[in-house]
Amino acid sequence: MQSRPSLPLRSETSDRLSAEVPDLMATSRRRGLDLFEKLDMPSSAEEVWRYVDLPFQLGDLELAPSPDGGLDDADDVAEALGATAGHATIVDGTVTDLQIQSSGADFVSLREAAAGYDGPGMDLLGTGVAPDLDVFSAAHHAFSHDGVFLRVPANCSLERPFYVDVQATAEGTVSFPHVTLLIEANAEASVVVGFRSPAGRFLVVNPQIEAFVGDGARLRLSTVQRFGYQTQSITHERVLIGRDANARLGEVGLGGRLGRMHIVLDVAGRGASTDLVGLFFGEQEQTLDYRLFMNHLGSNSSSDVFLKGAVEDEARSVFTGLVKIEKDLSKVSAFETNRNLVLSEGASAHSVPNLEILSDDVICGHGSTVGPLEEEPLYYLMSRGLSEARAARLLVHGFFEEVISRLPHPDLAGTVREAVNRKFVEAQREGRV
Amino acid sequence: MTNTALSIRDVRAAVGSTDILKGVDLEVPFGEFHAIMGPNGSGKSTLCHVLTGKRDYQVEGSAELGGVELLDKPVSDRARLGLMQAFQYPVEVAGVGLQEFLEEIADEQAIPENELEARLEAAAAEFDMQPFLDRAVNVDLSGGEKKRSEIFQMAVLAPKVAVLDEIDSGLDIDAVREVAEAVEAMRSPEMAVVMITHYSRILRYLTPDRIHVMMDGRIVESGGPELADELEDGGYEALRQRLGIEPSAGAPREKAASEYFTDTPFDI
Ligand SMILES: Nc1ncnc2c1ncn2[C@@H]1O[C@H](COP(=O)(O)OP(=O)(O)OP(=O)(O)O)[C@@H](O)[C@H]1O
Ligand SMILES: [Mg+2]
Repeated sequence: MQSRPSLPLRSETSDRLSAEVPDLMATSRRRGLDLFEKLDMPSSAEEVWRYVDLPFQLGDLELAPSPDGGLDDADDVAEALGATAGHATIVDGTVTDLQIQSSGADFVSLREAAAGYDGPGMDLLGTGVAPDLDVFSAAHHAFSHDGVFLRVPANCSLERPFYVDVQATAEGTVSFPHVTLLIEANAEASVVVGFRSPAGRFLVVNPQIEAFVGDGARLRLSTVQRFGYQTQSITHERVLIGRDANARLGEVGLGGRLGRMHIVLDVAGRGASTDLVGLFFGEQEQTLDYRLFMNHLGSNSSSDVFLKGAVEDEARSVFTGLVKIEKDLSKVSAFETNRNLVLSEGASAHSVPNLEILSDDVICGHGSTVGPLEEEPLYYLMSRGLSEARAARLLVHGFFEEVISRLPHPDLAGTVREAVNRKFVEAQREGRV
Repeated sequence: MTNTALSIRDVRAAVGSTDILKGVDLEVPFGEFHAIMGPNGSGKSTLCHVLTGKRDYQVEGSAELGGVELLDKPVSDRARLGLMQAFQYPVEVAGVGLQEFLEEIADEQAIPENELEARLEAAAAEFDMQPFLDRAVNVDLSGGEKKRSEIFQMAVLAPKVAVLDEIDSGLDIDAVREVAEAVEAMRSPEMAVVMITHYSRILRYLTPDRIHVMMDGRIVESGGPELADELEDGGYEALRQRLGIEPSAGAPREKAASEYFTDTPFDI
């Protein structure tokens, strides 16, 4: 079944894989490898890894073999999206299927690109997420060997979404799926990245998503993470937003034993804007971990982050959000809100929104709350005849509705709503909440 | 079946070491409409919440609905027995639509869908609630709209015993009349209404069978509609003098600030 020999995370492996990805990535690959060899596994003593326990050493893992087929399960996200502009499947870090329906955009796998794609934008590959962020980013740069590259040319507007179905399947392995998005000046695009893996299989996934949103361009980008319960995922996402450009981001976190999202948003150009709407639901012993860095680099730029989450049983969630507004900017607005429901006594949510403001002409706000379901609404609903369990379900549903109704891809609302409701009902049935 | 809709006997309620209700007795037969008046802080809303089953209080005594004890039951069971309180401060429920909420209740209580639909439609038309059906329960509603929504829910849920806590506060003059007329129209031999109010205005459009006055955690006087006129003329002070009641030491105690922040304070 294994068509490649065993592939430990060593320099020989990185060298061998070089042939499979575009030459342009060679520099970043070498840099990644250097760093990977130097950097230690993170420890929870570091602030940015606080509350996270990693039950594995990257160095002990092997790269996933070439996949021999993906998951058979129905894909709720694909179903919800319906007709797409393009569709790609990445299994264990290798693109196994890629189709494009819309003419006008370039949508290729990195392997195809290595074999001779000569369109513009390839020089951006691997430049989004810095390799020195942590050992995972370094490893990704060193060992990622496939992924998708989307380029939507200037002034081209594509209504239907591109969908990337990222799967991890091989037990005990690590994979490095890569997604690069280039939305050129005044173009408009919509992208959904879904993550999934089987429930009972220990494996590690270390994806990177980099998006470059050109001047005046618009991008809607959602990630829907529903990894299986034994999956450890560490995802890096970086979005650069140009002059008068807009990025609407949706982050849905439902699965994984560890679901970590390290997100860096550069609201870079004058007049650039972004909003990020997200939700997560942590069950049993999951850790859902969001590290958000919002960098305002241009005047008249604006950002709005709204993340809501619930944790039950012994689940843990973390949100640290640092909004930084650089010097000498004017008319910047930045808002950041994180609200958390703690549904069981053993669950915990840590929320630390932060602002670092180096300019004067700014409007900023941040807020965070952590707490159980509110007594008053629960009582009010029950006073009209709803049982406590049902009133609680309605409140949890209502809590998430505020973000679900604002997701950048309204097509996903139904399946996300169902998933969250299902999780809560299950927790109720098992007596965990 | 007994003809008494609501029978309250020696109900006492305390929070910590503070006694709020000090022995309330009240009988409301089916088909009747009773009003409770009383100074701020005298315990009227507390009585409503003790009946509904709010957790905050240590409660003693008995309250029966149609002969069935309420006080030992969970909140939702009391509602299913036919009790409904229209809140003085209706609570905002983020993200839950009004119609969605009523559908959940109907589903839980096995009210057939078409039956609910018919009731919803009729009540929405009567109270101009159509625009609010898809909006979140009480969220961003004006004070008066919230009260209207409470009466609308009452019309849909058709309780056996309706306890209306200051349903007229915050309503404009026309709305007071409309609400009063609607409550009057709901009057039936299968139902009883207890209405708490500060204003005899609403009593002009309704004819209460009995008026009760609550002071310092007790019903101190009961009578016919003429009692409202007496209060209108002389206030609670004159009544106290007539009954020979000493104003209680610390009363009326100021309300906890948090009570005001649960909602817009009304024009009391
Ligand atoms: N949960 C509580 N905790 C502490 N004190 C309470 C609580 N509920 C009521 N009280 C106190 O009990 C007293 C009676 O309050 P209640 O709200 O029943 O008065 P009310 O008669 O409805 O007044 P109003 O006319 O102002 O609405 C007040 O002094 C109030 O502060
Ligand atoms: Mg009151």
